[in-house]
Amino acid sequence: MSEQNTESKDKIVHTLCNSHCGGICDFKVHVRDGKIIRIESVPDEDGLPSMCLRGHAYRQRVYSPDRLLHPLKRTGARGSGEFTRISWDEALETVASEMKRIKADYGNASILHFCSMCDPHLIHSVGAFHSLLCQFGGYTAPWGYISCEGYAFAQGVTFGKSSTLRQTGHTPEECLEARLIIMWGWNPVTTEMGTNMSLSLARAKEKGARVIAVDPRYTDSAATFSDQWIPIRPGTDAAVMLAMAYVIIKENLQDQHFIDTYTAGFDKLKDYVLGLEDGTAKTPQWAEAISGVQAKTIADLAREYASVKPAILGSSFGPGRSAFGEQYHRMAAALETITGNLSLKHYAPSVRDFRLIPPFPFQPNQVEVGAPPRWNALPSRGPSVNSSARVNVSSFTDAILKGKAGGYPADYKLLWLSNANYINQLGEVNKTIEAFKKLEFILVTEQFMTATARFADIVLPVCTFLERWDIMPAVDVFSTKRRDFTILHKAIEPLGESRSQLEICQALALKLGMTDFPDQSDEELVRQMVANASEKRDLKTEEASKKGAAVSQKPQLRTPSGKIELSSGIAEKMNHPQIPAVPKYIETWESLNDPLAGKYPLQLISPHFKRRAHSQFDNLPWLRELQLQAISINSGDAEARGIKDEDMVRVFNDRGEVRIPAKVTERIMPGVVALPQGAWYSPDENGIDLGGCANVLTRSITSPGGAFPSHTALVQIEKVVN
Amino acid sequence: MQLGIYIDQIRCMGCFNCVVACKDWHDVPAGPASWIRLKTIEKGKFPNLFVAFLPTTCCHCKNPECVSVCPAEAITKRDEDGVVIVDREACLGKDDCGMCLEACPYDAPQFGAEENAKMQKCDLCADRWAEGKKPVCVSSCPVEALDAGPIDELRAKYGDVRNTESFAYSETLAPSITFKPKKDTNNLFVQRTVVIPGPTIDDR
Repeated sequence: MSEQNTESKDKIVHTLCNSHCGGICDFKVHVRDGKIIRIESVPDEDGLPSMCLRGHAYRQRVYSPDRLLHPLKRTGARGSGEFTRISWDEALETVASEMKRIKADYGNASILHFCSMCDPHLIHSVGAFHSLLCQFGGYTAPWGYISCEGYAFAQGVTFGKSSTLRQTGHTPEECLEARLIIMWGWNPVTTEMGTNMSLSLARAKEKGARVIAVDPRYTDSAATFSDQWIPIRPGTDAAVMLAMAYVIIKENLQDQHFIDTYTAGFDKLKDYVLGLEDGTAKTPQWAEAISGVQAKTIADLAREYASVKPAILGSSFGPGRSAFGEQYHRMAAALETITGNLSLKHYAPSVRDFRLIPPFPFQPNQVEVGAPPRWNALPSRGPSVNSSARVNVSSFTDAILKGKAGGYPADYKLLWLSNANYINQLGEVNKTIEAFKKLEFILVTEQFMTATARFADIVLPVCTFLERWDIMPAVDVFSTKRRDFTILHKAIEPLGESRSQLEICQALALKLGMTDFPDQSDEELVRQMVANASEKRDLKTEEASKKGAAVSQKPQLRTPSGKIELSSGIAEKMNHPQIPAVPKYIETWESLNDPLAGKYPLQLISPHFKRRAHSQFDNLPWLRELQLQAISINSGDAEARGIKDEDMVRVFNDRGEVRIPAKVTERIMPGVVALPQGAWYSPDENGIDLGGCANVLTRSITSPGGAFPSHTALVQIEKVVN
Repeated sequence: MQLGIYIDQIRCMGCFNCVVACKDWHDVPAGPASWIRLKTIEKGKFPNLFVAFLPTTCCHCKNPECVSVCPAEAITKRDEDGVVIVDREACLGKDDCGMCLEACPYDAPQFGAEENAKMQKCDLCADRWAEGKKPVCVSSCPVEALDAGPIDELRAKYGDVRNTESFAYSETLAPSITFKPKKDTNNLFVQRTVVIPGPTIDDR
């Protein structure tokens, strides 16, 4: 579907950007003489563009002078960044022989592989790697979403499945109808999950909806949409939500009909909220002492949320990325349920016309075969993700360092990371580096010399999605707008010697002696998949229309009771003191009551940044000039430390130190500091990071339900004295 | 006919889409020159705050002072649509002249970092109008906070509001612009006004 622009000689190529931000945006790529000259947004059926600043800057990513264009072999110490250019043949030969050696010496479980969601399309993604590694005899895969495992856990135990939506559980269309919208840790202007969400919020507001932001920061979303800002201490969200439930129950504001019809366990939740279970009533006064939110504000919020209809509790993934983040998500689900604000239709079985399946050979992962489920496995998850042979993503570092001696399923020797910047993006950078030094072989397939690639033994250059074909299945998870699939057309040839992920797998398969890995081109695979899908679709669509819409509206919950479980049978069976049957407030480690707060009195959060998608895009000049990587600190906290705006400061704790400018602002609450996540780790000779990587300061640990606790860290800040 | 701009300051969320889309479309490198800039105005003390954003381009004034002061006649106002354009070949340069920069209260004349940089500025995407498309800042805005068209039509459609937070209308120049203004009803103290890309204005 490329067209010729009549005005000029430019070729217009249609593709789709899906750069691990949560957005899915159509691209119209203008190509002249084999070179991309500009990228334009494509208006949707309402004439609206869906593309962000990062998409508009993508041309600088493709043609960045930093692009990796040749295979590299490490020549200096790990992390030194000393590499020499080698041929593809030598690189693949080295990788294949190391894979064979480590398999022979230690077994397949010692091979770790992780593929990021950098370009999560169907062909050049985790499927190809997974297929290859399974044919090789298996490997150890991680489990757990860094972004939203707390949410996934809460959905799994409360509803027995995940909502058909993600992020806040509400569509842009629902926001349009709402009269009250609570943005709880939700900053859609920056996080972009669902590119038409901001417009819906703007329109809802124009129609008279009241918007309340509950957030430690006065974010751009709070500034644009909110009528009221409620600053809240990180890690205390569940306490405020419990106090809201207290007010609702005490004042009999709950939707009893909804509770009676659809839920189980309300009485147990009520006992905990009212203090009958543990002797502590979860009153607004109780929550005020924990959260810093005034009791009256909490009570008013509870009354408003329970009485204004329709009301949306937009509980974002952000607050869930903290210690016991799963409790916040469970409590949000409980509040939506007891007030009857829950959109039950999102728990109806999804009507899927067809599935697009890449024709890779299927073999079970032998490392997982026969391994029992994890103790905290969720019935809503498949047996593979639930396998105890897997390692939680937040425990990766610890697993490499300790192996079997530390209770992990294997000793890990080989790490293959595909477009994943783990040193930068997992907790506790300095500990991760120690782990990487211990490994026998590291393969990184990448576009840039990231902090992680610097530690690789072999780096293979991967092309961008504009340099290859792929296909994206129905993408209506963030919106009710449907489409069957989108073909990602190749705009230009791969730069230098860079190759697509598929080509890398195909070449490696040959080196490993495999003969049945598909040898078609990505374009041929796309055409084959589309042809297969079209046949199946017509049949299924007919069936679905016969059954009628009423059937699909009925929620289908896979909890033990078949109902929404306010007291969870699944959680109870896990029998863990920090995974209670009802959602509870559990004080985090490194809270303000931790003795460590004497030394490190500031709570660090590491939110998203507009000009990056995680660690992607950090190196593009068009984006770098828009926002300074700096640590936001309240003016009172800054003044107490003699810090002025843009002064260089040391941000530190026992795990490491970052030196960057301070952003002195009124837009963050006292006691909390924010360092946007994703900046590229750039240590000086003393190991002090000058890049501003937040994970130098965060902890490498997993919450019991699997939440990635990146917003739970105490730090101190001092002005740098020369 | 005079083309002009409409800005809904209440909707603008400071997403920078217009800024980067403009740089990509017109191939303007990173650096001090940017045909459209985003101003952020922060007022008040924690927790009583007011924050507004304002994209700023050339206002294609009815009586552009830049045109009058240019000694090289490099800046002209087009008869057909009132768009103010610059002939970079004829421009004398920022170091040798720079008179347009001093004359314009809206910082529309932009200069790269190079020595004696020639002036460049927003031409309201003259090339896109020719293809029947609106300027790239308008079509890249995800919340429809921007529009462009004949200024009389914009004022009839959206109202005739000439001043807003951080923008003062000049009767002499008569900028071709109208707003949906964002109002700070509490009249809070300005903490900081930042223009990006470009120099930082510190009002503290």
